[in-house]
Amino acid sequence: MNPKLPKKPIDLPQPEPQVLPSVSVPGKRLPGWRLFLPLVFQAALIVAVPAQDAYTWVNGKTAVLQTAPVDPYDLLRGYYQTLRYDISDPSLLQSLPGGEVITSLQGQSTTFYVVLEAPDPTATPHPPLPWQPIRVSADRPTDLNDNEIAIEGQYNGWQIVYGLETYYMPEDQREQINADISQVQLQEQEAFVVEVKVDASGNAVPVSLWVRDRNYRF
Amino acid sequence: MNTEEFRRQLRHETEKWWTEGLINAELYKKIADRYQFDSLEQDASNRFITILMGLGGVLLGLGIITFVAANWQDWSRSFRVILLLSLFISVNLTGFYLWRRPADRKFQKLGHGLLLLGALILGANMALMSQMFHQSGNFYELLLVWGFGVLAMAYSLRLSSLGMLALLLLGWGYSLGWGTLILGQEANSLWQFVVRHIPLIASLLFIPLAYWCRSRAIFGLGAIIVVVSLVLNLRPLAGFSYGNLLAPGWIAALAFTLPPALLWGYHRALWQPVPQSQAARRVRALPPDPFQPIARGLALCFFSLLFYVFSFHWFWDVPPSDYQPYYAWDWHPLIDAVLLSIAALLGWMQLRHQFSRRWFQERAIHTGTIALMLCFNAAIWIWHFEVSPGAGVATLLFNLLLFLLAMGLVRDGLALSDRSVFWGGMVLLVLGIISRMLEYNTGLLLKSIVFALCGVGVMVAGLWFERNIRPRKVALPDGR
Repeated sequence: MNPKLPKKPIDLPQPEPQVLPSVSVPGKRLPGWRLFLPLVFQAALIVAVPAQDAYTWVNGKTAVLQTAPVDPYDLLRGYYQTLRYDISDPSLLQSLPGGEVITSLQGQSTTFYVVLEAPDPTATPHPPLPWQPIRVSADRPTDLNDNEIAIEGQYNGWQIVYGLETYYMPEDQREQINADISQVQLQEQEAFVVEVKVDASGNAVPVSLWVRDRNYRF
Repeated sequence: MNTEEFRRQLRHETEKWWTEGLINAELYKKIADRYQFDSLEQDASNRFITILMGLGGVLLGLGIITFVAANWQDWSRSFRVILLLSLFISVNLTGFYLWRRPADRKFQKLGHGLLLLGALILGANMALMSQMFHQSGNFYELLLVWGFGVLAMAYSLRLSSLGMLALLLLGWGYSLGWGTLILGQEANSLWQFVVRHIPLIASLLFIPLAYWCRSRAIFGLGAIIVVVSLVLNLRPLAGFSYGNLLAPGWIAALAFTLPPALLWGYHRALWQPVPQSQAARRVRALPPDPFQPIARGLALCFFSLLFYVFSFHWFWDVPPSDYQPYYAWDWHPLIDAVLLSIAALLGWMQLRHQFSRRWFQERAIHTGTIALMLCFNAAIWIWHFEVSPGAGVATLLFNLLLFLLAMGLVRDGLALSDRSVFWGGMVLLVLGIISRMLEYNTGLLLKSIVFALCGVGVMVAGLWFERNIRPRKVALPDGR
């Protein structure tokens, strides 16, 4: 009945002193470059995200675009204002010279450039006068005059996108500006224009909004 | 694990043993020294202080964030950029220098937490930079860039927590990106290219990370991402609701046969030359790979899901129509599929050394049965879509495969005393029976009988299993 006791004491496994040397804690001190190399890579990624737009912001040429009405339910989606322009309308572009490039193959996007001409430089009203689209081309136009710019756009069969469709506003002023814009859009759409900056490669960034004679710049 | 609660309980229990005479004073002192009973009170007070400091730190952090948010618009762009970058760099530097100190455990944990915070700040920085210049990019692009940034840090620091974060971000970014890919609204950009070739990228980047960090979770999640993206990218069933598949029928066979084949045949010797001793080389045995059971378990899960979903007859009953969808099928993911099938073939060729000629082995689900299931699987898909749609035959065969798999798993669970395998098989079996019963119109009486039988069957099976499993004998050290 008595279970046979072992003759020698059983060796218990030693408990680990501090923590198991697993790989979540480095065994020896890791050299500093193990952090610096990926940190530099990550910082490069952070800087690369807005890089082209920042360059355009600093070095671009200022232009003014006429907006077009947006679906009222889509006006203020989350944190940003949705913007649409007269040049976001495929039918308008197709009516311009060179507009036949605005066609889309099945399930693919086409890239094109729209050339806009500055209005009369002597008049400086508030809000500023919008630039007018004069022609469309599939390749970047190289023969632009001083008062012309080219913006790159994409057409995917049902929507034209220029990268100018979002404008972020601070939270406390968002509602008020939005109300302002909706009121203007009901009465006189032409009073709402957007100032953008365009660089030599056709990339454009929105700079400020002009609603009647008020300028909102963020 | 010497948690504080365990030590408290141990102190309580050893005092009882001492008073009852089970142990003597010398042994009590030895235990008290080893588990440091006298520092228990000090530890409790330290813990309280840590909690208070943590709470205070969180509130302080919230205050700083709110201050920044209040003044955000008033600062110039360059100031904001400098602020963001300096915050990001300082958090990472502090975390790293605290974490790599070998002496202090508390500081190591704090440093580790700061490194994770730094990874989150990376994403916040990218989002805020993008917002400052009014960029209208896609969210999935941000997630992918963020994920790759964190992945680089995880590789360099060999941290599995950062690796998991990177995998979660990349998986989320892939799923959102896949949504835009199939809508076909995006131009062919770099990120669309990445989404199209995620299976290859994932298998090249995530699997080595799992070995480098020695983390099973990373391997499991990485393998899931590879397999799911493989099937989703090939889009084998696109258009089937119109009765007219976009892709050829053999694509469906490839999409549903390649993942389990790749998973079952996986072994690290596939991409890592493993040093082998002469003895091992003579027997042609591969050194054990700790991740192979995970891969095989995932292969069985894939099979279970596949057989279960396609055992419903309504899927095979869709009549072909003449409707032509307006989008074309994308052939780019086929490149990934071809490369991964080469990997799968290499894996299976390695398995042939371990292939036993006998059919009835200790395990019911062995390489032979898996090979058979793969062949039948491929054959059904090709037959149904290429040769002639036979709705009844396909449904019957998938149901047969489902019940064979379930019974094989149950048998293996019994033979190897493995609870999870046994219960996996039981769940599959019960699900199969109930689904068939609910699918075909039967009377309520029959439904009630089947439910009751299933319930009783599960209870009986559980009791029988626990009574009959061979208890795993732990080898005692040879002291007798």
